Amino acid sequence: MAAEIPAPSSADCGNAVDFFVNMKVDLGGLSMKNPVTVASGTFAAGREYNDFFSIDRLGAITTKGVSLHGWEGNESPRIAETPSGMLNSIGLQNPGVEVLRAKDLAWLEGRDVPVIVNVSGHSADEYVQVIEALEEDSRVDAYEINISCPNVDEGGMTFGTHIPSVESVVACCRAATKRPMIVKLSPNVTDIAEIARAAESSGADAVSLINTVLGMAINARTRRPELARVVGGLSGPAVKPIALRMVWEVHRAVCIPILGMGGIMDGQDAIEFMLAGATAVAVGTANFVNPTACVDVIEGIEYYCRQQGVSDVKDLIGGLQC
Amino acid sequence: MAIVPLINEQERILKNECVGENLYIMRLSSPIIAASITAGQFIHMRISCMEGHILRRPFSVYDLSSPCGTVDIMYQTVGCNSSRMAELEIGDHVESIGPIGNGWYIPSGCSRALLVGGGVGAAPLFMHARNLLEAGIETDVVLGARTAGALAAFDRYAALLGHDPLVATDDGSLGHHGFCTDPAGKLLGSHVYDHVACCGPEPLMRIIAGMAHEAHAECQVSLERRMACGVGACLSCVVDTPMGKRRACVDGPVFDAEEVIW
Repeated sequence: MAAEIPAPSSADCGNAVDFFVNMKVDLGGLSMKNPVTVASGTFAAGREYNDFFSIDRLGAITTKGVSLHGWEGNESPRIAETPSGMLNSIGLQNPGVEVLRAKDLAWLEGRDVPVIVNVSGHSADEYVQVIEALEEDSRVDAYEINISCPNVDEGGMTFGTHIPSVESVVACCRAATKRPMIVKLSPNVTDIAEIARAAESSGADAVSLINTVLGMAINARTRRPELARVVGGLSGPAVKPIALRMVWEVHRAVCIPILGMGGIMDGQDAIEFMLAGATAVAVGTANFVNPTACVDVIEGIEYYCRQQGVSDVKDLIGGLQC
Repeated sequence: MAIVPLINEQERILKNECVGENLYIMRLSSPIIAASITAGQFIHMRISCMEGHILRRPFSVYDLSSPCGTVDIMYQTVGCNSSRMAELEIGDHVESIGPIGNGWYIPSGCSRALLVGGGVGAAPLFMHARNLLEAGIETDVVLGARTAGALAAFDRYAALLGHDPLVATDDGSLGHHGFCTDPAGKLLGSHVYDHVACCGPEPLMRIIAGMAHEAHAECQVSLERRMACGVGACLSCVVDTPMGKRRACVDGPVFDAEEVIW
């Protein structure tokens, strides 16, 4: 008996090379040719990875967090490997906004990739001053306001865990720029949805989440912490379920778009974030494992869309069925 | 020196054998990296068999054969993770980013060099020793290890030098009973060196750097730090220097000892 060959359905276009997938997304006013950027601090300003692939392939590049005059960062050891992840306590080492302009933005100039500058500060004033130093610079396309770094004593996460300080920092930054402004949220809170709502009501165009999860590692033999600073931020596949849950919670709580991140290693992980409600995604720790991880994620998303007959990647956003 | 672009090369394991106490040599078919890697540079290896361990591991090149396209590394198993690495078999695959970092360099006008390798630190100095000898520079080598069985690079050095390297073992099972700083110090006191290179545990490098400084000899050290990206992006592996924090991966791993704040 001849088996009946099923007719190709609209949901099976995996082999259709001419099946066009619109990969463009809009992240709070930032137009991206595909939904993939990098997690700040894992990719410097791109130069270090340009040997492996042209960074123009990214939907956007997110630079390492920058403060006004630069910070030394924390003592070594700054990282520790943990099951399916890693802890870091780099401490936002950076040379300051003028060096970012002179070196990193100069290198990025003329490339076909939007630039998101991650902004850090010890005070609301410092965030604003960093933005002011960049406002006239046409090489900047958007800001990511980092109110969630767990590795600095003043500022950082302390801004992102209390609603009044979230509102104050975000409102100050909002007043300083009309550019797309993404506010990066900490997972180290009881209710991330209320933090996201505070960011939205204070003028954020988008939120990014999650920053790293506060953790620690101990060496039983030496009875000492693995990190000089004792505690640090956990990232990698270990945090993905937490990140997905938080993206989903925030997606239900706010109307602004979400840049989702936390343990994304491949295209399928990225799809999961988009289904949970992310408009775009960031690849972080995976860059350390696989220097072409971003390209793999971009191609993985496109492949999934072809296979599923999804002609516009935006159709995935918040598509979780439950 | 031309900057060689980094590559993430798929590599086939040609050899993975135990050469001493917890010490192994892995030979990789890695023709692109083998064609350009220099003494003291390293590769950053992704080993997929280490389940739950996602980060790469850095290994300085021990030896290579450009015509054969092979790279040798020496590694030490500490704990269950690197033990998994020892279980990899001929024909298995790994992948490495390379060639990374600044290697050893021969100072101009160098006439006599002293190389000091502690433990597995003997390996990253081997190609440098060969380069020095090929440049006609008189080269003394001191190797130290816990026991004779851990002097895994001894035979290769002996063959290269045409005589045995000076050795020190913690337990006295071969050569000087004690640390390799003792014979190194004697050499520095009895000869004029214009170049010292050291790789091994950080206390050893600090002591040798101090001795070299006293003896007015230029000194280079190969530093090891916990490393994530290996390409200069993540700032995990920083070293304190008078010019601020520098990255062990791409600003090193070989530093002028005078640059390092110990």
